[in-house]
Amino acid sequence: MAEYKAPLQDMRFLLNEIFDAPGQWASLPGLSESVDPETADAILEEAGKIAAGTLAPINQSGDEQGCQWKDGEVTTPDGFKEAYQTFAEGGWVGLGGDPNYGGMGMPKSLVGQVEEMMQGANMAFGLCPMLTAGACLALHAHGSEELKEKYLPRMYDGTWSGAMDLTEPHAGTDLGIIRTKAKPNDDGSYSISGTKIFITWGEHDMAENIIHLVLAKLPDAPAGPKGISLFLVPKYEVNEDGSLGARNNLSCGSLEEKMGIHGSATCVMNYDDARGFLVGEPNKGLMAMFTMMNYERLGVGIQGVGAAEASYQHALAYARERIQSRSPNGPQAPEKQADPIIVHPDVRRMLLKMKAHTEGSRAFITYVAQWLDQAKFAEDPEAKEKADGMVALLTPVAKAFLTDRALDTCVIGQQVYGGHGYIREWGQEQLVRDTRITQIYEGTNGIQAMDLMGRKVVGNGGKFFELFANDVADYINANQDEPAVAEYIQPLAAALERLSDVTESVIKASDGNPAEIGAAAVDYLDLFGLTAEAFLWVRMVQAAAPRAENDTSGFYTGKLKTARFFFDRILPQSVALAESIRNGGDSMMAFDEAEFG
Amino acid sequence: MPQYKAPLRDIQFVMNELLDTETHYQQIPGGEEATPDMVNAIIQEGAKFCEQVLSPLNQTGDQQGCTLENGEVKTPTGFKEAYKQYIEGGWPSMTADEELGGQGLPGSLSMVMSEMVGTANWSFGMYPGLSHGCLNTLEAHGSEEQKQTYLPKMISGEWTGTMCLTESHCGSDLGIMRSKAEPNSDGSYSITGEKIFISAGDHDMSDNIIHLVLAKLPDAPKGTKGISVFVVPKFIPDENGNPGERNSVSVGSIEHKMGIHGNATCVLNFDGAKGFLIGEPHKGLSYMFTFMNIARIGTAIQGLGSAELAFQGSLEYAKDRQAMRSLSGAKNPDGPADPIIVHPDVRRMLMTQKALAEGGRAMIYYAAQQADIATRSRDENARKEADELLGFLTPIAKAFLTETGVDAANQGMQILGGHGYISEWGMEQIVRDARIGTIYEGTTGIQALDLLGRKVLMTQGESLKRFTKKVHLFCKEHGDNKQLAEFIEPLAAFNKEWGDLTMKLGSAAMKDREEVGAASYDYLMYSGYGVLAYLWAEMAEVAQRKLEEGTTEEAFYTAKLQTARFYFQRMLPRAKAHADAMVSGADNLMDMQEEHFAF
Repeated sequence: MAEYKAPLQDMRFLLNEIFDAPGQWASLPGLSESVDPETADAILEEAGKIAAGTLAPINQSGDEQGCQWKDGEVTTPDGFKEAYQTFAEGGWVGLGGDPNYGGMGMPKSLVGQVEEMMQGANMAFGLCPMLTAGACLALHAHGSEELKEKYLPRMYDGTWSGAMDLTEPHAGTDLGIIRTKAKPNDDGSYSISGTKIFITWGEHDMAENIIHLVLAKLPDAPAGPKGISLFLVPKYEVNEDGSLGARNNLSCGSLEEKMGIHGSATCVMNYDDARGFLVGEPNKGLMAMFTMMNYERLGVGIQGVGAAEASYQHALAYARERIQSRSPNGPQAPEKQADPIIVHPDVRRMLLKMKAHTEGSRAFITYVAQWLDQAKFAEDPEAKEKADGMVALLTPVAKAFLTDRALDTCVIGQQVYGGHGYIREWGQEQLVRDTRITQIYEGTNGIQAMDLMGRKVVGNGGKFFELFANDVADYINANQDEPAVAEYIQPLAAALERLSDVTESVIKASDGNPAEIGAAAVDYLDLFGLTAEAFLWVRMVQAAAPRAENDTSGFYTGKLKTARFFFDRILPQSVALAESIRNGGDSMMAFDEAEFG
Repeated sequence: MPQYKAPLRDIQFVMNELLDTETHYQQIPGGEEATPDMVNAIIQEGAKFCEQVLSPLNQTGDQQGCTLENGEVKTPTGFKEAYKQYIEGGWPSMTADEELGGQGLPGSLSMVMSEMVGTANWSFGMYPGLSHGCLNTLEAHGSEEQKQTYLPKMISGEWTGTMCLTESHCGSDLGIMRSKAEPNSDGSYSITGEKIFISAGDHDMSDNIIHLVLAKLPDAPKGTKGISVFVVPKFIPDENGNPGERNSVSVGSIEHKMGIHGNATCVLNFDGAKGFLIGEPHKGLSYMFTFMNIARIGTAIQGLGSAELAFQGSLEYAKDRQAMRSLSGAKNPDGPADPIIVHPDVRRMLMTQKALAEGGRAMIYYAAQQADIATRSRDENARKEADELLGFLTPIAKAFLTETGVDAANQGMQILGGHGYISEWGMEQIVRDARIGTIYEGTTGIQALDLLGRKVLMTQGESLKRFTKKVHLFCKEHGDNKQLAEFIEPLAAFNKEWGDLTMKLGSAAMKDREEVGAASYDYLMYSGYGVLAYLWAEMAEVAQRKLEEGTTEEAFYTAKLQTARFYFQRMLPRAKAHADAMVSGADNLMDMQEEHFAF
């Protein structure tokens, strides 16, 4: 298994040269004091070290060993506990947390890069701090002051970890039908009973306490999604002075055997009158969950980018080293028995596809993260409103498009290795198995597509879509005559027009025939993602072009060539997607159930 | 794990209604015996065996895997017994020569069995599957004595075979292999070297294992023209033809891999092992290519099987699992939610799998029919023509069906949501197993080079024309049928574009040899969509005709038509992206300096 190297240069390129992150930070009062370019750079540097030096080395062994369950206790793979200690002590869990409770208050555009390194080095491990950060967000937004003071500091510093307990055996996508119950107690607490499944890091031995955020129904709750409340249920109760008290009545019933992320414990959690505390208002639990959903979903997209980057690094190293057959143009390495496979056009096609997706996706993450920062920290209501709309629109794309492309990328990374890609030892197949979950959890990619198409586009008559389309159109108008991007402006404009046309036609077609939304959704999300990446690639070209002239490193010329590959060989997929969408939903809906077979 | 159910109605549809197998069998030697009744009985029997014996071992085989104990491989519980039943059923000998104890039935019929075996339990199917290649090579190129020694026992299934090609430093490029063969005074050879990725390289199911090993003679020329092939039995047959002395070939280890855990992937060490030359020296690679097409079609089945099994598993789940309400109003008002099959996006995933499984079946059976003609027809011209058509179809079937098979398996897994990721449900196993399909027997990239470089451009496009001519004639014949216009029109347009693009690539390749490798993958995928479009249009024509004539199976034929429609409207457009990419030129791949790929 090749080593992991944090892609710091590309991250700096995005933050400094494409998105002017330091400018944004300086302009936002909530950020200007906590972060400056030097701090950011030091954070990236340190994160790269811990990812490569601490997390990556236990990635493969973690997969092989997996987590072990015995009598309700979960033992993590060798080295995980120590790595978690190091990670927590470095303050990484609370990197984006509120400084009032001990967090470091860093912007998402920076935190996102750190998350990518952590996930790219070890996704199974990375899930634990990711879940904790998510739980902190929900608690921060909706918890009482008392709950926040009691729990947030210990979660930010990693002493305690967090888990999100939503799914039940019969209810995943459709949480409205959950059965877990919460009965009020006299002291203001609640007794929670029920079974939750697929609880990532629901039980383990790395943290002193585990704070579960559990969805349950109060006795008088209305049916459906509007009758769900959110509760904080700690594994160990916490005394007034913050010390740990009695063991709560919750236990891990078993661990799932699964395709990948073996280093992370996927738990069945049983609640048997466990003591819990209401977070936010009764029956508003699902909404409270949605607060952190944007961050979590972006986080899953980031997992995809991390895995894709790791797979690319391995595949590239292999393609340079492995010798096999001669180039069609004659020997390129005549001193060897054969040429390194990187000389072969089809191997390059695979590598460049990986590179284009990974770097494009990283740009996409940074783009969305900046809108998240603006939504959180902007003081101007108009700027905030726009950012909210952009975040709502782009989040499902970031989650689904980036994870779909990440799986493709990891599969290609496996393919570059030929037969060795199928063998565990080399690590490429693990990346495929690990990445496969990202298309499923935190709302399947089909659900993301419905969210985008139904709620975010059709639901408001294309209002959010306009924000995005204007952003791209403004760029096109402003750079019509910019020689550096001349060859791409036209294809970008065509891609935007294609997306806009399709958007309009689906809005129309779904009026009176709601099935058209679901019929278009997945293809539409893919089309949207491609168009957004085309936009970001043009911006990368614009930034790279002036630097390319005197570029001895090849970083900037490499960017230009990758952009060309993207426009020549990836963007054409958008034509196919648009046609498929325009063909409508009849070919799927005409089927009787019996006719399926 | 989905319990496999052989799709007998669809198998019959493709065999009888699409490909008129009855007439076809009457025209090839050995086929006369294969009357419709007999064919039916064989398939029914095979289906029963696959459903009842092999399918239940699929998940346990994955969980247990093979183990290496004291140098011997132990297969998962039940495999040995199942293999015994497989032999007793006479399945290994179906197509072999009657003189050697075979039943002489057409190869295409055994492809149907291979499909059912492979879908029910791919890992199991690889054990007899690998024997085929070994057996065919011996039959075509072995000496009379070798044939007498090995073939009857392999045909009966008592002995199994392997193919030992890959070494740790060479897979796609066999020219650089290192295994050596030293001649002995008795006419045999001492084989020394290490072979890796040897599927079914050792196991406990048969009495002997016959390895076909590629190695170099001391005086061998460099490269691919210096490779010879040897038969190296695990136990050297004694004078009576029984397994005798243990040969010095041993299992170094078995690989830990992503899937197909039930099949032992071995590192085999040959340490002066006794081997016997097959045919002439240095011709090993060309012998291996003799049955490459048929072997690769055998691998292509994995793509179809993955799609079929994933479809069966996810369809059942989609009818059962309840989540959310249909956007057009509750379909299951008495339940807490609607079954997810009402949701358009779930249907999209189901239909994609269905279109690939049924289309893939048509493609495989069609190729198998050509293989029958190519190997058995009395008419030399027909043999030649079928062989060329098969040569064209083979890389497409192998690469396109295994690539789309992985997609289909992923769609099936996706329908189960979180449960899809959990081993218990078996859907993730289908993905893990399917994933090897695009790699072994020549990766997708290698198939693509074979198609565009060797098959299409080297024949100046003739091999493509052979196929597009068929498509053209079909389009012409049904051009007036308005009911079919939605299929015929796009198909005719595609057919024309196919030729145009090929010409374009041909002239580009004359100027720059890199253009072939730069276009090959997209060309192959494009061609796959084209072949499938033709077959779906043919199937739509059958279905439409039956509906018009009147039938008691209206639902079946309507579903066929609808699946064809889905394919044309929702899948065929993907070919456009491949078309654009393939003609975008090699520069966007070759310009990047090697050291600029990452920083």
